[in-house]
Amino acid sequence: MEFDTLLSARALMGLSLVFHTFFTPLGIGLPLLLFVAEGMALWKKDDRYRQLARAWTPVVGLLFAVGAVSGTVLSFELGLLWPRFMEYAGGIIGMPFSLEGFAFFTEAIFLAIYIYGWNRMSAFAHWLVTIPIAVSSAISAVFVISANAWMNTPEGFRVVDGQVVDVDPWDAMFNAAWLHEAIHGTLASYVVTGFSVAAVYAWLLWRKKPAVNAKLGLQLAMAVAAVSIPLQIIAGDFAAKRVAELQPVKFAAMEGQYETQRGAPLRIGGIPMNGETKYAIEIPKMLSWLGYGDLNAEVKGLNDVPPEDRPNELLVHLSFQVMVGAGFALLFIAGWYWVAWWRRRREAGSWLPGRALSLALIASGFLSFAALQAGWFVTEFGRQPWVVYGYLRTSEGVTERDGILVFFILFTLLYVVISIALIVALLKWPHGPRHPERLPGAAGKEAEGVA
Amino acid sequence: MSPELAAAGIALVAVMMYAMFGGADFGGGIWSLLASGPRKEEQRLALEKAIGPVWETNHVWLILLVVTLFVVFPAAYAVIFEALYVPLFIALLGIVARGAAFAFRHYGDRESRLARQSLQWFSWASVLTPFTFGLVIGAVTTGHIEVEGTRVLSGAFAGWLRPFALVCGVIGLLICAFLAAAYMVARTEGELREDFRKRAIAASLALGAATTVAIPVAAWDADAFASHLNDARVVAAMGATALLGLAGLWALWTRRYRLAPPLAAATVAGVVGAWGLAQEPYLLANALTYEAAAAERITVVSFLVALPIGALILVPSLWLLYWTFSRDTLRGEEIAH
Repeated sequence: MEFDTLLSARALMGLSLVFHTFFTPLGIGLPLLLFVAEGMALWKKDDRYRQLARAWTPVVGLLFAVGAVSGTVLSFELGLLWPRFMEYAGGIIGMPFSLEGFAFFTEAIFLAIYIYGWNRMSAFAHWLVTIPIAVSSAISAVFVISANAWMNTPEGFRVVDGQVVDVDPWDAMFNAAWLHEAIHGTLASYVVTGFSVAAVYAWLLWRKKPAVNAKLGLQLAMAVAAVSIPLQIIAGDFAAKRVAELQPVKFAAMEGQYETQRGAPLRIGGIPMNGETKYAIEIPKMLSWLGYGDLNAEVKGLNDVPPEDRPNELLVHLSFQVMVGAGFALLFIAGWYWVAWWRRRREAGSWLPGRALSLALIASGFLSFAALQAGWFVTEFGRQPWVVYGYLRTSEGVTERDGILVFFILFTLLYVVISIALIVALLKWPHGPRHPERLPGAAGKEAEGVA
Repeated sequence: MSPELAAAGIALVAVMMYAMFGGADFGGGIWSLLASGPRKEEQRLALEKAIGPVWETNHVWLILLVVTLFVVFPAAYAVIFEALYVPLFIALLGIVARGAAFAFRHYGDRESRLARQSLQWFSWASVLTPFTFGLVIGAVTTGHIEVEGTRVLSGAFAGWLRPFALVCGVIGLLICAFLAAAYMVARTEGELREDFRKRAIAASLALGAATTVAIPVAAWDADAFASHLNDARVVAAMGATALLGLAGLWALWTRRYRLAPPLAAATVAGVVGAWGLAQEPYLLANALTYEAAAAERITVVSFLVALPIGALILVPSLWLLYWTFSRDTLRGEEIAH
């Protein structure tokens, strides 16, 4: 495989997106956790919840900062790597981007007020500050995802003689795919946050590391996880039905469906290659039912479209399997946790997850990120070879400049360095900061309440 | 005034805001690198505390600028970013390294090796990024980037390594250094304040010299820009800016601490404003006017409608942020909020 400009540009964009989407779900989900924790502290008059929020604050600050700069990278790379695409699409889908800018601005402002406001405002005012953070971060996700949805189901313009005319930015923003993508993509943030925070606490409790109110933290995170994961699976089913209708080729690639078929089977696992999906567990007629609500509905196959108009079915199918598999595993782990807790609820004060459940909870943090990234792989690889589905090929949107590979290598190195630093910083975190009173937003006394 | 011109004005205001706020932020890094004397550590800590609550907000102005460009002037966004991809990629590497390094130092364990190394990355990236942005501003001004329609004809190194671009890079650095020091004068006291006062005076003299040198360099290297310099509005803007700069210097010299920051900010806004007026009607000199680069009218109008609605939320929030965090006197003790 030759690293030409197109492949280098796709690699760099992909790297930047994957790196960014490690931080965004936490930037959306953690504010919700802060909102819940500080709200509980007020409602139950229990200061342990507030101590939790305080313990998370520097981590939120750190993750948000890296998320913000990695997002700046994307806003630049749209122009640096895909100038022809932006020239084509900028005026059509700019609206959600500019609104996202405002939402993000609001989030940054209130997050700063939150982080540095610990000693400056009442507990109630501080709780109020979490509301604009949680709301604006979710709204900014919805706006950005709406732009991605437009790339999948472009609307709100016409092309006459190769020129974009009759633009309607609002039609473009509320395109056919925006609703299911926005719901599925935003809920994913709460799933990831719930399970990954739970994973951290499960690990701390299992290894008996010191941490502020760890059991309470686990409980709160698992509450968010347990509410969001079933909703996410329902939203996923809705999204799949919409994709089946709007982008049948992507749907065929997700499911490894080569031949157009009535009563198509659902394939679990399997490797779609060279015109055949091998080694899959097939459930008769289920795909027709899942896609169209009818056991005998016709499912379009990949062979109906010329090879140059198809995505890479292997990548799309495997990513889809990872996402769905991880999603159901998460549902199972959430159920397991709450059943185990329910059985021992009378001794809730002393109950700790056992070894197997602890390991499952730790795994759930990784699984939730795997599901999120794999889901975006499905959307993005499944849209290929188009950047604007049916209108503009990815190869037509790319820059004509040389040497993109050099920047791909430089960004890879920088992201590796940042990832290592982040792991070092976060691994040290649970052991307790050496001088908690010196942390941004820390007040000496409360921060000493390390269990 | 056409909607396109209004939108171009908004883009210019975004550059101004980024220079006034983001610039001071970069300047904090520059003075961290150049910290010296008996109060070296105090200087760094006071700078860090000043930047802490506002640095993300300061950099959202850049996002606003980029978004304005690609919504309202997609052709200009595409052409400028394609033509100047090398310096813009370098600036981007700097932004990422700087933001991440600041966060690691600020939120992490302060005595760790990570925190010490982060300080180095943060300081150097604070020099690299504004210098490179200065090169980009210079390059879109010189008129050495050749374009046919929206296809870039000139090479990867066209425009941004010219003498005028290099002067703009230096001006970029000096703007940042001047603002950071001038703002710190009002936020510190005692000997620490004297340190920053001296630095602000030095930077303001250097900025005055560099902007003066830029004019003959432009006449030699940037015809498009130089030919606008005899425009009455541009001359007026430059004159006003020079007066503001002198007033700022006077305020620093005579220790009028509260007066120095607004005068410094106004001077920098004046430099950016005069540059913007001399650029008109071009977004990319000699190649792309704001009218040619604009998206369809409906998009431009929608953007102009969305803007005040967004501002309705943003302006009070920003006010709350700065009102909350800009009143304290910063001392060079260990971070203890």
